[in-house]
Amino acid sequence: MARVGRRTVLAGVAAGLLAGAFGSTAFAADKVTVGVLRFVSSGGLYLAVERGHFAAEGLEVELKFFEAAQPIAVAIASGDAEFGLTGITAGSLNLAGKGGLKIVASQGAEKKGFIGNQLVASNEAFGRGLDKPEKLAGATVAISQVGSTFHYQFGQIAAAKGFELSKISMKPLQSLPNMVAAVKTSQVDATILPTHIAGPMVDRGEAKIIAALSDIADYQYGALFAAPKAVAEKRDVVQRFVRAYQKGLADYGASLMRSDAGGKRVADEAAATAATQIAKYVYPSDPPAEGAAKVIASAPYCDPTGKLDLAGIEAQIAWYKSEKLVDAGVDAKAFVDLSFTR
Amino acid sequence: MSPDPGLREVPFRGGGFAPGNRRIAAPLTFAALVLLWWVATARGWVSPLALPRPGEVASALADMVASGEIWRHLAASVRRLVVGWAIGASLGVAVGFAIGLSTLARSTALPLVSALFPIPKIALLPLFIVWFGIGEASKYATIAFGVFSPMAIAAFGGVDGVERSLIRMAQSFGVPNRDIVRKIVLPGAMPALLSGVRISASIGIILLTAAEMIGAEHGIGALVLSAGNLMQTDRLIAGVLILAGLGLIVAFLIGVAERRLLGWR
Repeated sequence: MARVGRRTVLAGVAAGLLAGAFGSTAFAADKVTVGVLRFVSSGGLYLAVERGHFAAEGLEVELKFFEAAQPIAVAIASGDAEFGLTGITAGSLNLAGKGGLKIVASQGAEKKGFIGNQLVASNEAFGRGLDKPEKLAGATVAISQVGSTFHYQFGQIAAAKGFELSKISMKPLQSLPNMVAAVKTSQVDATILPTHIAGPMVDRGEAKIIAALSDIADYQYGALFAAPKAVAEKRDVVQRFVRAYQKGLADYGASLMRSDAGGKRVADEAAATAATQIAKYVYPSDPPAEGAAKVIASAPYCDPTGKLDLAGIEAQIAWYKSEKLVDAGVDAKAFVDLSFTR
Repeated sequence: MSPDPGLREVPFRGGGFAPGNRRIAAPLTFAALVLLWWVATARGWVSPLALPRPGEVASALADMVASGEIWRHLAASVRRLVVGWAIGASLGVAVGFAIGLSTLARSTALPLVSALFPIPKIALLPLFIVWFGIGEASKYATIAFGVFSPMAIAAFGGVDGVERSLIRMAQSFGVPNRDIVRKIVLPGAMPALLSGVRISASIGIILLTAAEMIGAEHGIGALVLSAGNLMQTDRLIAGVLILAGLGLIVAFLIGVAERRLLGWR
């Protein structure tokens, strides 16, 4: 009697443990790691985190902050992160071509009528008459790295203004602070900088803005990258992640991408709330109000649905190939996956 | 001659360590490494993302030779290396000799050299750009600065190591100081100087990549950096191999100089 009793108790305990274990997996959130830069163009992701869109999809998101686009791409390829939100560079396209990355949604873009990057001339070059992008032929310009989005934008300027890119001498300076220093001290004639950096420089009289890149050509420069392993084996997790990110992008568009009749960005309560939530990540050391003002003044355009511009990516690959920066075998169809943003 | 009883014949043992040079060994070592690399990538032990195949690296190198790109890179880098090294080494030798020969220099310059040596030259790069611009001058300066301290230390060590009795003898024979430096100190310090050249030339090659981080369109260091940024691992490894080749050539040239200059030993 006692023996049977003990067995019954043991069986009961085991059943309870099993039920507990299964029960907890059913309720536990899937953990994913996202590599991200502290840029306003990632605002959609930050809003999705702050407003609980990921939690609502049963995802626990860990943000890993990086200083440059390249390490994010490498982190995904090496399996250290499932997702990454950053610029599309020749390096990430080469890595994607080798099967290291997939592109599943979009991020920031240059779009006419919206704030984007600025073409900035040094005071000395401006004094010599460099006041239009047409006059860049023969100039020395600073870029961050070979094959970066800045490099591509100089290619777009050359194509739009009808001169050979080889007429521009490109100086890769590795980082934005170096580019700022070089143009401030007139060691280069021009560079391309985001508005939130270019604007204050012009206010301090350190350089001149000679064109807005969004007026020259449309360009979807950012993307949500995903690990091929996650796309193949955890489609459901990727789909939920993209859906939550899209909700964040919709919030971003609805709060920050509105203009009044005069074409000025609307800075009402909704914009301030979103900007404060984004500033928490982008300007963590600034007072919230100050950071929010910077976000409103510089938030770049992001497609509110996260849809990818496949033709644009193909055009980038073709251009990079012509500059011998992307390998000949790279094909967008092999790694751009439009199915998640349908 | 028969050995006395109780005495044991002892073979000569004082041969010293005499590392010779088997000509075949070095190429064999390299060949074995390449073979291992080839097998590891061909059999799939190493993912193509992690390491390109030897064939891909070879064709990247061949493309660079065919398009003439490699010569532009080499010309830019060798010029930076030669000019930067020459400036740094001549200053280093001058300061090193001064430290070795004069009390004033020893008490002022020696602590300075010791303080400069451990400064990471890469950390000073932003300052060099402000001082010398993003052109060639900042690249020469980076290499020269890195070469200066090891050369100075090698030179004063060499001067210190010169046989004192030789100098005293020359002095008692009334040989002028200039001739003592030229005919006794310089040849006496030569072995130390040449080993300083060996070390400082390698440091120069290491700093080449750092110097070419900023604003260099051509150069082996710039090639390696941009290949890394573009994730073109075949070109990256090709660039690294060129740097290694540069190191081997420099080592060979120093070997030739050693045989010429130290023939009297």
